[in-house]
Amino acid sequence: MTNLAKAIAGAFLALFALSWLLPFWSVITTALKDEIEVRTTVPIVPPSNPTFVPFVKAFDSLKTGLANSLTFTLLATIFSTLIGSVNGYVLSRVKFKHSDVIFLMLSFGIFIPYHAVAIPLIMVTSRLGLFNSILGMALVHSIYGIPICTLFFRSYLDELPSSILDAARVDGADDLTIYARVVLPLSWPAFIVTAVFQFTSIWNDFLFGVILTKGENQPASVVLANLLGTTSAEWNVQMAGTFLYALPVIAFYLLLSKYLIRGYLAGAVRG
Amino acid sequence: MARVAVKELVKRFGRVLAVDHVSFEVRDGEFLVLLGPSGCGKTTTLRLIAGLEKPDAGEIYIGDRLVNDLPPKDRDVAMVFQNYALYPHMRVYENMAFPLKIRGFPRKEIDKRVREVAELLHIQHLLDRYPRQLSGGQQQRVALGRALVRQPQVFLMDEPLSNLDAKLRVYMRAELKRLQRELGITTIYVTHDQAEAMTMADRIAVMNEGKIMQIAEPQELYSKPANVFVAGFVGAPAMNFIEASVNFERSAAVLDTGVWKIPLTEDLSKILSAKGTAGEVILGIRPEHIEVSKQPTPGAYEVEVFVTEPLGAETIIDFKHGDVIMKAKHPEHFEAKPGEKIYIKFRMEYMHIFDKKTGTAIV
Repeated sequence: MTNLAKAIAGAFLALFALSWLLPFWSVITTALKDEIEVRTTVPIVPPSNPTFVPFVKAFDSLKTGLANSLTFTLLATIFSTLIGSVNGYVLSRVKFKHSDVIFLMLSFGIFIPYHAVAIPLIMVTSRLGLFNSILGMALVHSIYGIPICTLFFRSYLDELPSSILDAARVDGADDLTIYARVVLPLSWPAFIVTAVFQFTSIWNDFLFGVILTKGENQPASVVLANLLGTTSAEWNVQMAGTFLYALPVIAFYLLLSKYLIRGYLAGAVRG
Repeated sequence: MARVAVKELVKRFGRVLAVDHVSFEVRDGEFLVLLGPSGCGKTTTLRLIAGLEKPDAGEIYIGDRLVNDLPPKDRDVAMVFQNYALYPHMRVYENMAFPLKIRGFPRKEIDKRVREVAELLHIQHLLDRYPRQLSGGQQQRVALGRALVRQPQVFLMDEPLSNLDAKLRVYMRAELKRLQRELGITTIYVTHDQAEAMTMADRIAVMNEGKIMQIAEPQELYSKPANVFVAGFVGAPAMNFIEASVNFERSAAVLDTGVWKIPLTEDLSKILSAKGTAGEVILGIRPEHIEVSKQPTPGAYEVEVFVTEPLGAETIIDFKHGDVIMKAKHPEHFEAKPGEKIYIKFRMEYMHIFDKKTGTAIV
């Protein structure tokens, strides 16, 4: 590539990056402004007199929602990932009659849109006494996540050399021991990828939160949307809320990003 | 230690008959090699004995126990895999301790055995490393070690040397053979390398297309192959084959190859006529049993050199018989240019004659 081509490519990429980051930049600048400055300035202009009052206000409204979201997101991430790992192992390695058919049916679950199951979901959760509860949310998201988690783990474990599992079998291990002592410790890259994916999608879910919870039990995503309606447009508070809402996902990602890339590449580079 | 016996073993994968009524017995302490080309069913046979595959028919005995329905862990066999199959997340020590740990051995006993075996294999200094920090040869030793700590009844090895470089492979052949002798463990060893089989085995079972073609000691396999397949698979360079028809002139048999008429000795003629063999046969002669010279000698045939392959101590001479290229092995250096006329003579006492239809040996 010539220097000119490099410069043009660089300019384009910078432009794209900017258009991606601009909204997020506006969130931060707006969140730091007071009520008057919010109305008198353009969003992307930095605050002349930064204040944390909007953050305090937003946190006050969001704290229950954030705690709710954090609870069921963590629970559902752990459950669905663990179950996905066991499923993936069984479907990839243990193999039984019609296991391929079962896997195919399971993977249909990935393609069912949330909206299609909304009404049945309300009926089932209320019969089970799980309507409007954190546990109910954890359960619904766990179950909804199982197909995709199973897919992740099955694909990952398909790449594992079968002789390692054969060796364990001859060494004296049964299926359970092989899972616990060999498959589980070797699948950490799949755990990272799956956990990040699950955490992000459960945290960001809005629909299940709206239809399955009320009041105290609402997740942060729903509470955040409600901020909009409660008072006349307090943009600074809403933006501060948005920032607070995005924070856990960003933190989770940053925490695991080092391993995430390795996880994505794990299948490719194993000798 | 134990004997192993398989009887009429059958294994299908879909429509493919991978193992076709295979029967053999391995004596207590014996080193048996399953030899054959890839896809001949030798590895499947080994996996059936290990319990990693379920047979469709037949019986497998280890010692006096019928083990058909036993899972691998209850068969008391240890296996070494071609790619070693070490546990990547465990250190060498843990890899070797693993089979004992899941069998619930006390920690002291585990430690004692792992260190003993590590010493035997000269890998004491590697116990703290992970498999990825080891060379191929070292990984191979760890895989052997993991099998040895168990003190199993039977050792199963699936091409354990084929991933090593040539020099190390030859060294490990002798090393493995020594270990097996010292420990006296019944061993079944799978390979496609006939040199490996010849040098290590007490007996060799040659397999092809799921069937056992012949079981014999290495020397017998070489000198008395039961059929064309075994004759062609064992020995390097491979035996030369020429199609020929048998004609009887009075009581003396003559092989007509279309180019040459080869009169057979009285003994051979008698055997052929006793077996009522006339018509089409395959003549087999090993390269080392063809004498070459630059001067005509009585009973020699004139041929044209196609190419020579000097190997230092010996020379392989390729020459043409009609359209077929044959090879002769001369025990010394032999100078000849392509196209040059030389004279070849068969050592008749080493000649093999096979039935053309069935491929089985007549003489």
